[in-house]
Amino acid sequence: MRRRFALPVLTVAATAAALMVAVSPASAHGYISSPPSRQANCASGAVAGCGDIVYEPQSVEATKGSTQCNGGGSRFAVLNDNSKAWPAAAAGQTVTFNWVLTARHSTSTWEYFIGNTLLASFNDGGAQPGATKSHTVGMKGFTGRQTVLARWNVADTTNAFYSCVDLNIGGGGTTPTTAPTTAPTTAPTTRPPTTAPTTAPPSSGTWKAGTAYKTGDVVTYNGISYRCRQGHTAIAGWEPPNVPALWQAA
Amino acid sequence: MASRLIRLVLLVALVAGCAKQPAAGTAERARPFNAVDVMFLQMALAQIADGSQVAELAETRAGGETATIASELKKQWSVEDGTMRRWLLGWQQPLTADPDRAAHAGHGELHRSRPQDLEELRATRGRAFDRTAVSLLLGHLGNCVETSRMEQAGGAYPPARTLAESMTTGHRDQIARLLRIAALG
Repeated sequence: MRRRFALPVLTVAATAAALMVAVSPASAHGYISSPPSRQANCASGAVAGCGDIVYEPQSVEATKGSTQCNGGGSRFAVLNDNSKAWPAAAAGQTVTFNWVLTARHSTSTWEYFIGNTLLASFNDGGAQPGATKSHTVGMKGFTGRQTVLARWNVADTTNAFYSCVDLNIGGGGTTPTTAPTTAPTTAPTTRPPTTAPTTAPPSSGTWKAGTAYKTGDVVTYNGISYRCRQGHTAIAGWEPPNVPALWQAA
Repeated sequence: MASRLIRLVLLVALVAGCAKQPAAGTAERARPFNAVDVMFLQMALAQIADGSQVAELAETRAGGETATIASELKKQWSVEDGTMRRWLLGWQQPLTADPDRAAHAGHGELHRSRPQDLEELRATRGRAFDRTAVSLLLGHLGNCVETSRMEQAGGAYPPARTLAESMTTGHRDQIARLLRIAALG
């Protein structure tokens, strides 16, 4: 009798406890799987020493509007580390980006940047994504090693999901472990970019990502000379015309 | 017998609702599981149900390694499904969480696969099918890892925590393999 009495008590208590636990463990939503994003390269083991991101490549969520690979949030700063050996996938002037979605949030826009240059923006007008999501994006004349920043802007929150994809545009892949991506065979699933393109500088000249520049150094980029205003190590996206804080036309 | 049990349940519910009973506190302490264990098992069962439908299709229609992973998942999920049901039944806990429950606030549904996702997968052919299957499995396994890590962090029932640990390890390996397939285009 006593034992039978205990079971319902237990159920009531458990239900009460379950009601009180209001944690939402699943807060993550998506990332680019191909060409592999930085978080995908961490989760696949192509890049080591990534920390917690290997468990949740879909969790790079932060306030909208950041230009950092981790979205400027408090976690996953490793994704911003350009000194890490991120493999760059071989690509042409047109690249199809495929997303993995763990939650199908209603979406305002999907945006793709190299540096401050908006490559494309796809407006979903608050619609929920389908089973999969992919976009075909033009590289606007960028060549060589470049980092594409993709932002998935959720419609009903203030947040976005961030994915950085390292590409070697118009060249071969940089690591033997990553096979080159093949040319896209699918048509874009969304309408073409609605935002007017900004300048598309081809990267010619002496400026080079990865170089440490001192104040006063002079480089040429796209036929124009620039003087370094502040010492820094150049990364893709910091091309002289893109960052007046670092470079002044000489 | 049955009516006596019902009366008993009613009585207990009334008592529990009116005053804190020392007996309830004792039962609480003696419980081998906590609310996180229950939530883990309920969520994992729902995820297994969703994932199995994708794995079922991928096993027969996808190529090479994708089909191998799908068939691995099907086997693993069918074993886990049995274990999880047994635990919940033994604890007299529901197998599914009430979808209206405030704790979920409608958010959980976003992480479930919808009938139209499966329809989309069914409708694709050839390489597009493989790509869609890989993408769906990756998203699905991403959710599974979050659920099992929640159990590893907050669960109380040692066998469930051990199961969660092996699920995290196994699924991470499958995610790595699927990402390598995805990288090939």
